[in-house]
Amino acid sequence: MNDFITIAIPKGRILEESVALFKKIGIDCDELLGSSRKLIFENPEQKMRYMIVRATDVPTYVEYGSADLGIVGKDTLLEQGKDLYEPLDLKFGYCRMMVAEPVGLAEKDDPSRWANIRIATKYPNITEKYFSSRGIQVEIIKLYGSIELAPLVGLSERIVDLVSTGETLKQNGLVEVETIAEITTRLVVNRASLKTKHERIIGIIEGLERFL
Amino acid sequence: MKVKAENNRENSVPKGVTDFLPEQAELIGFIEERINRTFELWGFRRIIPPMFEFEELLAVGMDDSLRDKSFRFEDRQSHRLLAIPPDITPQVARIEAMRMSGYPLPHRLYYNGRVLRQVESQSGRSRELFQSGVELIGLESPEADAEMIAMSAEVLRKLGFTGFKLDLGQVEFFRGIMSAADLSLSVLKALQESIARKDSTTVRSILESVDIPDVTKSEIAELPRMFGSADVIQKASLTVRNDRSRRALDNLAKVVDILAIHGIRDELTIDLGEIRGLSYHTGVTFEGFVPDIGEPVCGGGRYDGLMGRYGRPAPATGFAFNVLNLLQGLEKSAVINLPVTPKILLFNMKEDRTAALELTARLREKGFIVARDIIRRDLHDSIEYARRTGIQSVVIVGDLAADERDAVLLKVSDGTRRVFTMTDQAFLDRSELFS
Repeated sequence: MNDFITIAIPKGRILEESVALFKKIGIDCDELLGSSRKLIFENPEQKMRYMIVRATDVPTYVEYGSADLGIVGKDTLLEQGKDLYEPLDLKFGYCRMMVAEPVGLAEKDDPSRWANIRIATKYPNITEKYFSSRGIQVEIIKLYGSIELAPLVGLSERIVDLVSTGETLKQNGLVEVETIAEITTRLVVNRASLKTKHERIIGIIEGLERFL
Repeated sequence: MKVKAENNRENSVPKGVTDFLPEQAELIGFIEERINRTFELWGFRRIIPPMFEFEELLAVGMDDSLRDKSFRFEDRQSHRLLAIPPDITPQVARIEAMRMSGYPLPHRLYYNGRVLRQVESQSGRSRELFQSGVELIGLESPEADAEMIAMSAEVLRKLGFTGFKLDLGQVEFFRGIMSAADLSLSVLKALQESIARKDSTTVRSILESVDIPDVTKSEIAELPRMFGSADVIQKASLTVRNDRSRRALDNLAKVVDILAIHGIRDELTIDLGEIRGLSYHTGVTFEGFVPDIGEPVCGGGRYDGLMGRYGRPAPATGFAFNVLNLLQGLEKSAVINLPVTPKILLFNMKEDRTAALELTARLREKGFIVARDIIRRDLHDSIEYARRTGIQSVVIVGDLAADERDAVLLKVSDGTRRVFTMTDQAFLDRSELFS
């Protein structure tokens, strides 16, 4: 089992783009796109194994070495701050981590004068770090979904969330007021795997790099 | 009010500490014995530092992130703050500087100990670490650095690991490149974090925004990719121009050459972008990795600045094993070469215990592990007990089928019996019959 390379990949768009990217370097994992409910796939000829996991669990599997490699958004990496190598920006899945607020508030608001504010977010650590680096006290309300709702019902004045097209914000009467970080999908590598399987992993990294 | 143990079973120990039952404890003992034996064969002598120390003094030898992890409490006697060390190296440095000035250099010291570290509450990590390590104080030669790495390879081999890697770095290489660039502290910190993660995208985007020579920029941009097999040193020497980094590469190349004499080549990987422990290390660093374990099993390196902090400057290098990571590695690997001493359960059917205890003593003298059954129960139950506790044979004294002077050796695996005379030394010497 030891000479297999295991990759943790989240479901959804990242999965499709990853399969397409790996195909370019001759790693065939089309099987992952089927409707099977299997969570683990093996390709004995190529000595590859694939695990389908939740995006937020990818760093954990890789940190503990259950997976050698993982594919995950920079947002998750920033939020969890795990000790992983992240040698490649895979460039897809682009979006922005930003602060948004209702249009009405934005018209008279001055972000440089924020002193203590209340934020609803799925990303408490990123939020905390960003505002504390700017010297702003922040009360964070952790939510698990539909963050845009929070300012509409008075749960918080503002939100920190990911935005790609901005359509959801617009439909809910919110506008982006500050960008915290640009987010793309990253390849992450377990530290021990990079050393004990360095030839194969360097091969994968350098192979992928040619197509980015 | 006392809480009854039975009411409190769910939280019998705090998070992050473990009770090790005999099977695992035996393996831990095996690991520590192999480690200690190797250290001793290389001329290291054991020291035993105290369980806790004055926090202030311990902190002299630690960086802030490690210092924050120590368990602290107030001393009722001196009213000073005490700490349980999160790492043993600062203790050894203190002891060497303050107590061992009368000893001639170099010092070769080793230790086994448990240290405590606070961890984040949900991480599921152990707060207690078993460390076994060495410090080699008073030598600055690359041969001393190679000695550390060669010893760690020897231990990993003796424990039966195959496919392990020893990953070498040289922090002076990094410092050489960075000192050529005049960077603000915040930029430097951001760069260091990205380099440590091998995040070349972020490194490049940070570099775009700073005003430093292009040569330095390209050297920094390469750092996240400067890892791999030993030829990385060669490649790096072709691209890096500054003297300090080149000296670091020469030094690392010498260590690699000496390791080749020790017979260590294929086990080596090089990582010039590895800057963990930057605040502490001053030269060659290394970490050991075994297959299927996500964390290093050992790590260390040169720390020429540490002894001076305790008032007696001296070059020094050292490393420590994380024994619990080794344990995990052994449990995952297929082969565990535990030494096999035959284990015997001595079952007495006589009223009088003299013959039984005398035979027990004779068997122990021969080096067998012998436990007396003591409980009065059926032979069948005793054999079942032996089977479940890993005992290979039951010796029966006073068996009705045997003569007064005889005992019966019963093999637990297949139930075969063999009658022998209790005083027959030649029989007792045949350990293969008992295992």
